[in-house]
Amino acid sequence: MSNPVPAPRLLHFTAAFGAGSLLSLMVLFNGTLATYGSLLFASWVPHLTGTALAIVILLALRPRRAGISHPPLWAYLGGVVGGVTVMLTSATMNTALALSGTIALGLAGQMLFSLFADIRGLFGLPQRMPKARDYLALALIIAGSLVLIFLGGAA
Amino acid sequence: MIGFAALALLAGVLVSLSRQINGRLALSTSAWESSFWNHVVGLGFITLAALVFGGLFAGAPQDAPWWAYLGGPVGVVFIAAGSWLIARIGAAQTALLIIAGQMISGVMIDIIMGTAGNTLARIAGVALILAGMWVARSAKD
Repeated sequence: MSNPVPAPRLLHFTAAFGAGSLLSLMVLFNGTLATYGSLLFASWVPHLTGTALAIVILLALRPRRAGISHPPLWAYLGGVVGGVTVMLTSATMNTALALSGTIALGLAGQMLFSLFADIRGLFGLPQRMPKARDYLALALIIAGSLVLIFLGGAA
Repeated sequence: MIGFAALALLAGVLVSLSRQINGRLALSTSAWESSFWNHVVGLGFITLAALVFGGLFAGAPQDAPWWAYLGGPVGVVFIAAGSWLIARIGAAQTALLIIAGQMISGVMIDIIMGTAGNTLARIAGVALILAGMWVARSAKD
């Protein structure tokens, strides 16, 4: 039942690249907040304002529910995992790993687990087998990221 | 040191895990609703953590520039986009393209903010990432 990974279409491509740009802004905004307030505050405030905006969006757009079946209860716990991530990151940032090491290892963990989840079809998401092309794209993008993380700063 | 490296690696695993869980919720609901639950449940969790550890309002958060408070609204769109994408192009493609966007926009932000950096490394890094995106994009469906 495993399908090859379809090449992302232009819409997916643009959305993912745009989401990555949003992530850069988030890191800038929340990181700046954390230099003035506590790390907990810099995570608590965006969750509070984010919840408020999400309610406005749900009321305005009223997106239709995709399925008649109820999602499993654990599917509501993504926010808890996100909260734990913030705490882990703040614990490692000020060690010998520094920010660059924390980011690089984070990218590695993210990619390895994503590939594993795709191959196994974890969490009720479609199973996908990456092709040689996908591994080449992975190698190039991760290599470029590592160059930026470790060599891109001021000499 | 190895312990901290394992924690940093685990943080990356959790980023992916959280996106998969939110993606599963979006399959039964919608990407926006999944983003709402991610934020409201995360808010409850962090509030609990703040009650346990204290120090939520430590420092001088009132001195932060106003735009530093805009991370939440941006995050709502970011989580919704991730939940929408992961069911369509898979966890690995989603993560990889988000990383590409983050890295290249990060370089642009650094240049706009005037952050010092190694120009040669920035060019090489961005070129490698663009090449990777071209490879991901160039295959026939």
